[in-house]
Amino acid sequence: MKRRALWSSVLIAPLALYGCGSAAGPDTGGGGESGTLVVWDWKSGDETAKSYIEQAKADFAKAHPDVEVEFVAQPFDQYYNLLGTAIQSGEGPDVMLFNGGGQLRDRTDALLPLEDYLADDMERLAGWEAFSADGHIYAAPVTLQGHPIYYNKALYAEAGLDPEAPAATWEEFLADCAQIEEKTDATCFALGNKEGIGIQFFLSGLGSGVLTPEEYDAWIAGDRDWTSPNVKRLFEMWVEAEQSGLNNEGVNSTAMFNDEFAIFDAGEAAHVIGLMSDVGHWKDFGEFLGAENVGVMPAPLANPAAVPSLPYDGGIGYGVAEWTEDPALAADLVRSLSSTAALEAFYADAGAIAADTTIDASSSGPATAQIVDAIQTGEPALHVALSAETLELMGRLSQQLLSGSVTVDDALAQLAESDQG
Amino acid sequence: MTAASTPVRTPVRAGAQTPRRRVRSGRGAAGKSRAERLAPYVLVAPAALIIGVFRLYPLALGVNFSFTGDGDRNGQAVGFDNYATLFDDPLFLASMRNVGLLVLLLPVAVAIPGLLATFVYMRVPGHRVYRGVYFFPAVLSPVIIGAIFNLLLAFDGPVNALLGAVGIGPVDWLGDPDVAMYAVVAVHIWATFGMALVVFLAGFATLDASLIDAARVDGASLPRVVRHVIVPGLSRTIQFVVVTTMIGMLTSMFGLLYVMTGGGPEGSTYLPEYYIWFQQGQMSRPALASAASTVLFGVMLVVGLAQIAVLRRTGRED
Repeated sequence: MKRRALWSSVLIAPLALYGCGSAAGPDTGGGGESGTLVVWDWKSGDETAKSYIEQAKADFAKAHPDVEVEFVAQPFDQYYNLLGTAIQSGEGPDVMLFNGGGQLRDRTDALLPLEDYLADDMERLAGWEAFSADGHIYAAPVTLQGHPIYYNKALYAEAGLDPEAPAATWEEFLADCAQIEEKTDATCFALGNKEGIGIQFFLSGLGSGVLTPEEYDAWIAGDRDWTSPNVKRLFEMWVEAEQSGLNNEGVNSTAMFNDEFAIFDAGEAAHVIGLMSDVGHWKDFGEFLGAENVGVMPAPLANPAAVPSLPYDGGIGYGVAEWTEDPALAADLVRSLSSTAALEAFYADAGAIAADTTIDASSSGPATAQIVDAIQTGEPALHVALSAETLELMGRLSQQLLSGSVTVDDALAQLAESDQG
Repeated sequence: MTAASTPVRTPVRAGAQTPRRRVRSGRGAAGKSRAERLAPYVLVAPAALIIGVFRLYPLALGVNFSFTGDGDRNGQAVGFDNYATLFDDPLFLASMRNVGLLVLLLPVAVAIPGLLATFVYMRVPGHRVYRGVYFFPAVLSPVIIGAIFNLLLAFDGPVNALLGAVGIGPVDWLGDPDVAMYAVVAVHIWATFGMALVVFLAGFATLDASLIDAARVDGASLPRVVRHVIVPGLSRTIQFVVVTTMIGMLTSMFGLLYVMTGGGPEGSTYLPEYYIWFQQGQMSRPALASAASTVLFGVMLVVGLAQIAVLRRTGRED
């Protein structure tokens, strides 16, 4: 009997300890105003995000001095797998980082609606759309991600063009490109479509210059007419740019990350449709070309009825798990993580366009200032509204369009079927 | 069986002249016999359990999973829907066509190391150096090889520069759907033929040198020596290399594809493996990926059985 008791206790002991070792810690949330909040992300381990985290912690500590905040940096390629496991077991971090769009919308069951807690931040921050689903807001945006058209002002000057007056229409743009190719060694566009992402940037970067505002809104709302003349025009421009030699050679075997951007960095192409945050953006380009030589232009008009706008969405943002013990406390941490001081540090160190529209970005060069200015009138990017399957198909078709093995009409018919089928 | 034999044996054992032998034969006292009857099962159990729990059970789970849905239909039985989707998907069909292409290219993949091994065996000048150099790529990981050839085969890379120098237009090695698969297979062969070469050299070591000498004395030319002496003498080695090369092509091209083409351009370099990874990891369609895995399993089963048949026939010839 004694032995049996011993065995039972050996077997039971781990069960009793179970939970103590969980990432959330034994006193998650904390009763009243003490305890620990656990945050999961993939950013806090980066050197460039250090001051951002410190600022956010300091902001939070002002209101809640006795609550400890623990940041757990997960590897990004495993992040959503780990999060999925935590969500299935119903325990894990109190606050977690998300990419805007599908990754967040797939997991709203595990998230707390935050609109009541974040009401005061609605005006100050931009990019809410990507963190909203079914009329609720599930995370507060930290950075914005978008697709400005960058151009190299030094090459413009070399070609005898006015660096401060980029083309406003597609015809003028083609004329400028012809002049650049004639007077310099550079091509018009740096383009890498090996992964099939080039078409996504092209679609979003130039889309607002082709679609009418009504068409644009309908597209974002899910009502997409793939056979409309303007959508067709957009895909014809994709083919036209390749056939009239605007792109660098070997587009289908050039990787966007980072060969395409390297071509622009090296001054071998005059334009590139890049990103706003993290990579392939104003900060990278400025380091190679000099911040004063990096310009941002609105989409050239290929349709007089179109209204060019900056395509952007919420990049990353923090949300609150529905299992957290004290939702108000966790929501307060989310507010601190998107406070002006913290976001200012993130913008300055990590080279990301922060979601806070009150940050003064003029010191980072003309491109940054232009991007921040354009945020006010910006619209969600066209390709972000598409499903993963349609995007994959579009990538493959875009390569076929470039090699001429499929027609625009045929490609659009396939895309329509994938999008609506 | 044992129950019948025990009572017979016991009296014999009592008056046995050679008790040691009896004990060792393992049909001892009744108490022991039960343990010893179970012994083989106990000893086999770990291996059987490992195969059962970690191989067969997951296999059955995977096949079962392939008959359920993805996304909204997660967990529901959907019959053969996934298989219908698969054989309707141009990407999957392209990947199966590429498997066929690999089978067609197999003779090339076997002939190259065979020919080079022949030269080394014939002691061409510098054969010692070549023996080491040929094996060298086999120690590099596919990721590194892929990265190297990405640079070499880039549109503005050194290979095209070289072609340009002799007046041949640039080839978009990894961007042209008609060329890319051949480029990747060529790199795979370059990267792996060293191992087959070593096997061939080992085969040559067993070859009777006097036969070759005799053929030469009779005035046979090199091609004739290869055809009538070396190839028959190496038939078992060649069959072994064919089998291992086929397995290698079907199962270890993922790294190269991932680094060099990512399945593109235009989906022309998909292999079933890559397709499975893509559907499960990138498109969040694990059930469809299971169906593709099941089909790949079927293909490998056919290939494997064919190989066993070939090997068995060789054994009989021996």
